[in-house]
Amino acid sequence: MTPEIEQFLSGMKKTMEEVVLPNLTDRFAQEQAGIVAATLGFLSTIHDKVFHYELFENREYKDILQDVISGLENSGEQENDIQEVISKINKHFSKDRPEDQSALRPYAFLRASNETMRELLCELIQLQPAMPADTRAQFEARLKPFFRSLETRERSWVKGLGFDPEADQQADIAELLYDEKGFLRGGK
Amino acid sequence: MNKYYTDTLAKRAQPTPDWIAQVRARFPVEKAIDEVFTRKLKNRTQAPRQGMDFTRLQQPLLHFLREQTGQTDLDVRNLQRLSGGASKEQFSFTLDWSNSSGERESLPLMIRMDPGESIVETHRLRECQVLKAAWGEVPVPEVLWTDPEGEHLGQPALIAGFLEGTVQPPQPDNDERMSGVGLYFKPDLRAALADQFVKILADIHAIDWRKKDLSTFDAPPANSVRAMQTSLGLWERAWYEDTLSAHPVMERAALWLRENMPTVNEPVLVHGDYRSGNFMYDVDLKINAIFDWELAYLGDYHDDLAWASLPIFGGPDEHGNTLASSLMPTEEFLKKYEQFSGNRVDHDKLRYYQVFSFYKISVIAAATSIRVAYSRKTHLDAMMNFSGGIGYVGISQLNRLLDAVD
Repeated sequence: MTPEIEQFLSGMKKTMEEVVLPNLTDRFAQEQAGIVAATLGFLSTIHDKVFHYELFENREYKDILQDVISGLENSGEQENDIQEVISKINKHFSKDRPEDQSALRPYAFLRASNETMRELLCELIQLQPAMPADTRAQFEARLKPFFRSLETRERSWVKGLGFDPEADQQADIAELLYDEKGFLRGGK
Repeated sequence: MNKYYTDTLAKRAQPTPDWIAQVRARFPVEKAIDEVFTRKLKNRTQAPRQGMDFTRLQQPLLHFLREQTGQTDLDVRNLQRLSGGASKEQFSFTLDWSNSSGERESLPLMIRMDPGESIVETHRLRECQVLKAAWGEVPVPEVLWTDPEGEHLGQPALIAGFLEGTVQPPQPDNDERMSGVGLYFKPDLRAALADQFVKILADIHAIDWRKKDLSTFDAPPANSVRAMQTSLGLWERAWYEDTLSAHPVMERAALWLRENMPTVNEPVLVHGDYRSGNFMYDVDLKINAIFDWELAYLGDYHDDLAWASLPIFGGPDEHGNTLASSLMPTEEFLKKYEQFSGNRVDHDKLRYYQVFSFYKISVIAAATSIRVAYSRKTHLDAMMNFSGGIGYVGISQLNRLLDAVD
């Protein structure tokens, strides 16, 4: 299908910058129109990676939740609240199974599944004070690389918005998502 | 765009009375903060508003001012929306009236008004009280009238003197910096402004708040964690009510902040948003106004120190080194603060408030800004989405700081 999304976006940005903005007289309207043009420029850099971003996150969350459940179950009897969250995670895994081919799912399904997994992981993080000290230490150790991968990816995603004082040190999002052969990282 | 991926997101978008009651019970906040946050949730399901139509304001403003002054012959002219700003709608206008000496004069004024939903939901009477408390102590615009509930002007608002001056000096690439983030000041400007900037902060912290009318502020006891509990409660509640996506790093940070809360020895008036972009200077390079007091509270001075030196706000010098509030290296800022205030900088506390500062900026930019744009509640929806980028840089920095302190 044509025009491609990129062409729509760049056409709108050009019109905004070269036709609309020069003819605006209101200071506030100029400021807002400038932000709209900048937003269109940002969307050009990310629109074709959104689905793979969510797919990548889907794998990441499934992996970390499986890993922490396994760790918690191996460390013995857990508090009821923790057991309850583990049950909710297992229930979710019956709807979006870790072994499924998630790439065949629609975007909205992935987005909803990822959000559910994020909420469940957050519930477990808040329950850390209820964990025995050694269990908590293991839990935190499992999460640290996950946190790092997550924030690095998000920071690369928003690099084009221009707020990062260390932008030149952040990888491009495509480098984080795709391997040297051009495939999505972590594919099974 | 009304798709709710989870039940939690549905509750946030369509808050029920039961859900609101649960949220209120869960997070300890000051009474006035609870009022505005609860009002925000109750208003959330109301229809989006048209932000550019401010012609509706002219007549109510005229009536309000005539009622407040008893002058039926006063007039309002040149009502205009101001550019800049992120959390409030701001307008300037000229008031033709008789001053206290009975002379006719044309007075330049400004209005700060709540949008339908704000990136920082705050209390106009509280802002009015703190501006009055600061008046005569540090440079601030004079507050003349307030409509705290929006009964007269449609939304809560305050009216203050309009001051002339510069907030953003010319930038190297001629670009404006959103909300003053990453501003560049030339060396001569830095030399003229740096000491003033620090001295005014020290003066704010020296204000004897117990002698001021700050009835909308909860006064925390000395040598307790109460001030920090309610301050953290505010930001945790804002995150919980507003985010469109749960975030494991934010949960990690909230837990760490709760478990490592330092005692506030002697509460001071904390400005809450003290940084470049929130001060103005005149042609003589004298700082003539400190703005944006809406996040002020009674707490620990380290909070302002951490916020003012947050790398995400500061612009660089000529060598690319990030400066505290774009004016001076952080070490110099802290040293000057100790000299001007007589307060000692406790580096453990400073580290705590650095984590807290990154938590706050992440709440504002990654949750609340995106929420108000999602709800189509402001005059700045495009900007609110765009500024989400600051939030994710904040979350990244937050995680790295937590790795370092753990």
